[in-house]
Amino acid sequence: MNRPAAFALALVTTVLLIPVAWSEENKVVIGPRNLDLADGAQELLAGNAREGVELTLRGLQSAHGKREKEAALSNLCAGYIMIDRLDSALMYCNMLLMSNDRHWRGYNNRALIYVMRKEYEKAEKDLAMGQEINPNARTLKVVKGMFLDATHPVSPNIIIDDRKRKNAEVSVKEES
Amino acid sequence: MTTAGQTAVTAAVCLAMASSAVVLADDSTRVTRITHMEDSSSERMPSVTAVPQFPEIARRDRIEGEATVCYTIDAQGRIRRPAVQRSSHKMFAKPALKAIKKSSYEPLRSNQGATVTRTCRTFRFLLKPVAIEEIE
Repeated sequence: MNRPAAFALALVTTVLLIPVAWSEENKVVIGPRNLDLADGAQELLAGNAREGVELTLRGLQSAHGKREKEAALSNLCAGYIMIDRLDSALMYCNMLLMSNDRHWRGYNNRALIYVMRKEYEKAEKDLAMGQEINPNARTLKVVKGMFLDATHPVSPNIIIDDRKRKNAEVSVKEES
Repeated sequence: MTTAGQTAVTAAVCLAMASSAVVLADDSTRVTRITHMEDSSSERMPSVTAVPQFPEIARRDRIEGEATVCYTIDAQGRIRRPAVQRSSHKMFAKPALKAIKKSSYEPLRSNQGATVTRTCRTFRFLLKPVAIEEIE
């Protein structure tokens, strides 16, 4: 996998989607409450990073509650990584993790920023934190792989072993 | 299945093969080091030895392992009834089986008698550390 594709893969599933329906004080509302945030997430998932960031910035201004604000910060971090504005991405990831230090997506995205900036010690710490919170997250494994490729690269080595003492070989007379 | 990528890969590998051709079982541009271990008493001479692709997820997650495939070689040197006998991790079974299916042996000569041979081949999927300077 080439590097840009790996970056995109590491990010794309870390974008938070806003739920399309919820219940609040006996009212059932269909559709997302923060349209800008929801549309921004969709644009980011579609790979339209600039549009996604713009919509998410608008969504952040009208965000209600901690969850919406964290979703906006997380998606802004991801979006700015996608357009290679790492300083802005880092700022939003830091804001997110100051608000919630158990947000594994924040650690995932910040680790990716650190890998891209070759700040490997910081990346390793964030990966460890993220994997402690969500050990099975696929995107964390992708970023961990990128981190390892940068710091401990390996080359595949395949041994084909046809030796009989290892593999029993039996000859059978063909019945003719 | 000769591609420019494969040519580059096979040119870069270190081979301990005698006379058989080596082909990659999958298209891959990643350089893979290949070692073929065989003893002199092998009854059948390999004609084409396909090399499995190292699973990308295994490489990413730094997982090593091995898979053994057993099969019958018919008089014409074709592989028959290949089956994975053992695999340390399920992700190694499929590329090993695929490689065996693309391999073949030299046909038996008339003075060798009509025999079929049941044999097994073990693939070891290992990862060797690379000095960073080599890839930058």
